[in-house]
Amino acid sequence: MLRHSDLVKLVRVVAETCETEIGCDECFERLDSFAEAELSGVEASTAMPLVGDHLHKCEDCRSKFEALLTALRGT
Amino acid sequence: MKERTNEQWLIELRGSNPDEALVDLYDLLVRGLRAALDGYGGGVDANVEDFAQEALIKITANLGSFRGESRFTTWAQKIAMNVALTELKRRRWRDVSLQDLFARREAADREAADTQLTPEQLALQNTVLGELRRVVDQELTNRQREAVVAVILEGMPISEVATRMGTNQNALYKLLHDARRKLKRRMEAAGLSPQEVLAAFDEG
Repeated sequence: MLRHSDLVKLVRVVAETCETEIGCDECFERLDSFAEAELSGVEASTAMPLVGDHLHKCEDCRSKFEALLTALRGT
Repeated sequence: MKERTNEQWLIELRGSNPDEALVDLYDLLVRGLRAALDGYGGGVDANVEDFAQEALIKITANLGSFRGESRFTTWAQKIAMNVALTELKRRRWRDVSLQDLFARREAADREAADTQLTPEQLALQNTVLGELRRVVDQELTNRQREAVVAVILEGMPISEVATRMGTNQNALYKLLHDARRKLKRRMEAAGLSPQEVLAAFDEG
């Protein structure tokens, strides 16, 4: 089932795995604060490391975050 | 648009004459969606007003869940982005079933090993793959295995995999987190540091 080409992909996500991670619901709950922090020039991932970590790992949430940043910059 | 504090937004939207606030909010959502989805392609621009309308319904139905930790308009735009991107992902993946995804993998399974690797890298690759295969095949649950393949290896959005597996995005993320933690512990117990493995393949 696992192929040679899967190895680096899988090992990379394993390497980045933390014991404590927040889920998508908690990330979404805090996404507006995180986006405002980011736009105000604060390093949002330092202020909210678990949200930053989740956004790094979850493409679904990251795409919403990036869309929100673009929307906020454009309005 | 009239400037409003968070409290003014809530008072107006909950009041007996919310029309002006609704119009202003709708206009803001449309502008935000246009900016965010610009360049998305596929005629998405035509859907912006539908997304804004659907978001407006969700926002007004859930005013009680706004906790005031950001500007009200940021919170509202977050909901609009969620509505739009969830729907766009659903459309993009609607013709792909998990069964198709797994069948395609199986058909491509007789793949030759990477011939660019040094003998040392090849030996390490075989050792790591052997351990990962053992854990994936014997220690992960069927659902964890399916999620690992679909989300991590095949890159299907977690929300779309969740729908097909009869669960939700949050629960599937947690299921994958459990699977990743198990793989990490087993690799470490077998003396295989994930960082060292990546470094050996120049991916660290």
